[in-house]
Amino acid sequence: MSFAQTFSFGESRDSVSRFGTTSCPARPHRPPRSLGCPLGPAGWPAGAAARTGARCPAGRVFGFHFSFPGLAHFLSHRTAPGRGVQGPHLSRVPPAFPVDPKEANSCGSRRAKRAQRDGKLQKSSALCPPPRLSRNSRPWARAPQLIHSPGAGPALHVHTRVRGGLAPAAAAPPKSRPGSRSPLPAGKPEPMALFAVFQTSFLLALLSLRAYQSEVLVEPLPLTPESLNVSIDSAHQYLNLQWSVHSLAYYQELKMLFQIQISRMKTSNVIWVGNYSTVVKRDPVLHWSWKSELPLECATHFVRMRSRVDDAKIPEPRFWSNWSSWKEADAQKSLGRDPLFLFPKDKLVEEGSNVTICYMSRNQQDNISCYLEGQQIHGEQLDSNVSAFKLNKVSFIRKTGTNIFCKVDQKDVIKGIVLFVSKVLEEPKDFSCETQDFKTLTCTWDPGTDTSLPKRSSQSYTLFESFSGKKILCEHKNSCNWQVDSDSQEMYNFTLVAENALGNRSVSVLFSLTHRVHPKTPYNLFLKNVSGTKATVTWKVHPIGNYSTLLCQLDLLGEGNVIQQHNVSIKENGEYLLSELEPDTEYMARVRCADANHFWKWSGSISQKFITAEAAPSEALDVWRNVKSVSGRPTVTLFWKPLSKLHANGKILSYNVTVENLDRLSGLEVHSVPATANGTELTLDQDSYQIHVTALNSAGPSPASVIVVSGDPGNEEVEEERVNGTEDGFSVSWKPQSGKAIGYVVEWCDHPQDLPCDLQWKNLSSNTTSTVISSGAFRPGVRYNFRIYEISTERMAYLLEKKAGYLKELAPSDNPQVVVSNLTSHSFTLSWKDYSTDSQPGFIQGYYVYLRSKAEKECHPGFKKATLPDKSACCQHRIDNPEQKTFVMENLQPESVYEFLVTPYTSAGSGPLDAFTKVTTPDEYSHILIRIILPMIVCVLLIMITCYLKSQWMKEKCYPDIPDPYKSNVLSLIKSKENPHLTIMNVSDCVPDAIEVIHKPEGSKIQFLGASKSLTETEFTKPAYLYLLPAEKNYSGPGPCICFENLTYNEAAADSGSCGHFPVTPEALPGQPGPLTSPENLLKALEKNYMNSLGETAAGEASLNYVSQLASQMSGDKDSLPANPPEPVLCSEYKMQMAIPLGLASPPPAENSGLSSTTPLDQSEHYR
Amino acid sequence: MKVLAAGVVPLLLVLHWKHGAGSPLPITPVNATCATRHPCHSNLMNQIRNQLLQLNSSANALFILYYTAQGEPFPNNLDKLCSPNVTDFPPFHANGTEKARLVELYRIIAYLGASLGNITRDQKVLNPNALSLHSKLNATADVMRGLLSNVLCRLCSKYHVAHVDVAYGPDTSGKDVFQKKKLGCQLLGKYKQVIAMVAQAF
Repeated sequence: MSFAQTFSFGESRDSVSRFGTTSCPARPHRPPRSLGCPLGPAGWPAGAAARTGARCPAGRVFGFHFSFPGLAHFLSHRTAPGRGVQGPHLSRVPPAFPVDPKEANSCGSRRAKRAQRDGKLQKSSALCPPPRLSRNSRPWARAPQLIHSPGAGPALHVHTRVRGGLAPAAAAPPKSRPGSRSPLPAGKPEPMALFAVFQTSFLLALLSLRAYQSEVLVEPLPLTPESLNVSIDSAHQYLNLQWSVHSLAYYQELKMLFQIQISRMKTSNVIWVGNYSTVVKRDPVLHWSWKSELPLECATHFVRMRSRVDDAKIPEPRFWSNWSSWKEADAQKSLGRDPLFLFPKDKLVEEGSNVTICYMSRNQQDNISCYLEGQQIHGEQLDSNVSAFKLNKVSFIRKTGTNIFCKVDQKDVIKGIVLFVSKVLEEPKDFSCETQDFKTLTCTWDPGTDTSLPKRSSQSYTLFESFSGKKILCEHKNSCNWQVDSDSQEMYNFTLVAENALGNRSVSVLFSLTHRVHPKTPYNLFLKNVSGTKATVTWKVHPIGNYSTLLCQLDLLGEGNVIQQHNVSIKENGEYLLSELEPDTEYMARVRCADANHFWKWSGSISQKFITAEAAPSEALDVWRNVKSVSGRPTVTLFWKPLSKLHANGKILSYNVTVENLDRLSGLEVHSVPATANGTELTLDQDSYQIHVTALNSAGPSPASVIVVSGDPGNEEVEEERVNGTEDGFSVSWKPQSGKAIGYVVEWCDHPQDLPCDLQWKNLSSNTTSTVISSGAFRPGVRYNFRIYEISTERMAYLLEKKAGYLKELAPSDNPQVVVSNLTSHSFTLSWKDYSTDSQPGFIQGYYVYLRSKAEKECHPGFKKATLPDKSACCQHRIDNPEQKTFVMENLQPESVYEFLVTPYTSAGSGPLDAFTKVTTPDEYSHILIRIILPMIVCVLLIMITCYLKSQWMKEKCYPDIPDPYKSNVLSLIKSKENPHLTIMNVSDCVPDAIEVIHKPEGSKIQFLGASKSLTETEFTKPAYLYLLPAEKNYSGPGPCICFENLTYNEAAADSGSCGHFPVTPEALPGQPGPLTSPENLLKALEKNYMNSLGETAAGEASLNYVSQLASQMSGDKDSLPANPPEPVLCSEYKMQMAIPLGLASPPPAENSGLSSTTPLDQSEHYR
Repeated sequence: MKVLAAGVVPLLLVLHWKHGAGSPLPITPVNATCATRHPCHSNLMNQIRNQLLQLNSSANALFILYYTAQGEPFPNNLDKLCSPNVTDFPPFHANGTEKARLVELYRIIAYLGASLGNITRDQKVLNPNALSLHSKLNATADVMRGLLSNVLCRLCSKYHVAHVDVAYGPDTSGKDVFQKKKLGCQLLGKYKQVIAMVAQAF
């Protein structure tokens, strides 16, 4: 948005005439002092002077000054009746302002020249600014002056002017300036009076004759414009004028000049004055248009005009006619009664031009604001209800136009217009025409910016040829085809006109047809007789005329680059022999052609690829060997570098290796190696062998490469030297030994840390003793070993020197693995013998041993203080010998913690200082303790082993087995002699001290589901004991007792892992005090339960389980505990041992028993 | 067979007898002026209602799309430039009979269809890059054509109304661009207002 606004309205600027050319307008109403002729009231040449043709005293002809008062009167007799000289009032009538003829005539030409210079199109009618009045154009400067002398009647003072200046008036002496000298002394008029009378008489005679002749030859020309009609073209803002001129009596046509005045709003407000020159024919109707910058709807315009003959046929002086009456052009009448109007509607302008917008309000009181793209714009008030906005150099915003709107603040009224700004129509660029066949001319150009808008199509292009006068409308925006009719026309002058709704631009080109030949692309490009080094190229071209010769350019390209270039002149068929080609190489032949006589443009190119034939390899292979001994036999590994494409001359199919024994006469041994391999391995013996290696392609073998190897590896004990690497590589030098060398070979590995190490070698001439070994594979921090061999005349290689070096040394990345040994209370030994110095990223120059301890602040002798990267202090010892890989730390404190670190260093720095190893020195007396404790431990172990081995003996001695009463001899004796039912003891014999009733939780749970409700869970959660003996005085209350089994009685019982544990509920005690407190009742109850249990257990499987009860806090029988164990109750009494059947020990009690109790068994149950 | 021909066929004829049976078939229907090319859909009113709802649901979006594409001052001066004061717009009375409402709907849709055509034509020239607006205008016009056909079918089939006098809006082809934009905006504003009322009435 760059609408610069200026609101100064120069009325005289908004003028464009539509037809013809106008001369420059005169500035209106500039009052001249007088005109060259006496004028009538309307400015028309007055009276007799106009009539007789002696209207102006042709001063320049006669050069006289009329001073007779009677002369005017005399002249008045020559005028038509009623048109006498008007006397003094003549000079009061303001005549039309004369136009400076030079400016008027030159304006149009100046504009045209400027337009041509600026490259712009010249419109059909030039717009001229109002002319400036030069000093020379001032009427008083050169026109005869009519001066009124009061009291003396009309007096005509004519200052005649000879071309180039004013002639001094003779009759009336000029007013002498003060101080100037008069040629005649005043007061002596007599001689001059006589001369004047004579002169006047002669002049009058001549004047009479002249006036008579003019009256006969020239009729008066009252060519006042008539019937002036003004119409409005609102869309284009034109005022269209139409008028007519009559009374061309004596002339078929007459060139006339019309002066037009345009006023705005009122007649006195003249905004534009201009001249329009045209040739008028008999009774013509003339048209002319004026373009207003201000939309015509916003203001009423008035137009009037006058005319003047401007034809060479009419001698000067020529006079303006009267002004026509003012004609009004008012477009406001048809607008309607809307409160607000905004103009112009849908204005289309070109980018960069100026636009004037106006609004017209019906109500002067309305406050109106106008906006453009959201920004308020301010204008100039032309009238009480009309304002205008001038937008300078409008820029292109969008194709869809820009809304400009005004709104009345007090009312809901918005009026808007859309302004369309189109891109500037550009002059076509790169306009050129050419032909390919002399039949069609193709003109092309760059159309530039598209100027299309909604409802406005883009620019169209018209091609005009001036010699033939033909014109065609181009179908495309950037090209046009012109048919060449015949061969006769050689020269063409084309004008391309681009035109849109706002204007046009044109560009021309003049050329000869034969100079604009653009041949068609050649065709049928072939290659024949292609050998290894030569090939023939053939092609064809489209003929151009009968005698035209084409110049063709043949390019030979290899890998995209032009290798050869040849120019060939041909008519139709082209052929060229290409030579100096490389075998087995891909080339491309490319051909293009142009007119040989007048080069204009190259044609399109045609190209064809081809490959030359193969040839035998041109160079021998570069071969090297590596001899090593495998299982006592020398093994030779041959290496060769593949031939370059330049020397291979084709695809290598295989390599031939021929081995010849030089020590013994034997046949040649030939090995064929595939082309993919670049080496082979040969197992030889201790003899010397000559090896020939050749490369084979389809055309033949390459020259042989010869190398001699021997089983003797030669002197390998050569001291290794160091070599420094630089950015360029390693500079290796050596000293010749024998002086008979035919060359030298430097051997190294590109990747020495890999296997294979990518062996490389470099052949050098015999006069070379140094070289620089460079390789892209060299990396910093890698040790490269170089071996220099001397090649003898027998083509045998002898090791001369060994070199090792780094391209750039780096600091070690790892520290050695250090082993601590000989640790004593005052010293220990560090050892890193496994550390390899050869595989480090630099030459190891030594080691740093760091030691730090919290106990010791001072460093030991040989150490110095150092600061680690973490700012901690430590002691450092430097070992300068890289082969010293042990170090003894001495003078240490016993029972102290030491931290040490061993790191190597190279010229680039030392290894990482991060992982310190801790070592604690032992106590001084620890060895004594060890001497005592160790034997003791050994003794104890011996005793334990002995006890374990003699456990049976130990058992017998320490805790012998309790004898089984059933196995007692006494029992067998009683059994055999007395009552077979006699048991060991009866219940009555042994009064139990307590009976423990043990509850079996799992069994109880199931049983109590169907049991009586008196046996609730709470009743079974706590075991109860029946205290049968008063000896247990201290026992009070129920408590848990732990039973243990004496496994020595029954192994089966021990396997079961359970013992009968019969809890007795406390509540059961009061309920059965009587029966259970007595031993008899108890036994009965037990017997009853036991009988039930036996009923469930097979008789054969029944066994006894002796349960001895001992009070304990912990129970070893988990089965004896209830699911919800009650609070543990201490029980420390010793319980009696009882024998119960095994089946009764673990199973739950009978369902109807509710209580279980251990009782002495009935005799019948214990015997089988 | 004779028995069948003698007894069953007359019986069938009698059973299917109706007025006019046996007389020559007319070439044109009885009410020739109210003929529809295709039979009307059985659930026509429901379809009309759906089409009205569809138009109503998209009317506001179309209105917004339109005035946004016209640029300032339209989006910020809707009350002054897009107020729905279209003088010659056909009336609609929601409390009328179905027939009357259908006739009025027919007039409205015919009016709107013609105006939408004008707007679409103008916008394709004035805003050639506003593709979404063009698409929306075309879609609305398509639905209106279908709705017009359905309303006509309903009027014809049920009420035997074969002809409805319709009026169209002013032709905008001779007006200036700003006036075209304004008239289009007013029309779409009116359309948004009316279609909501009509959709509710049906």
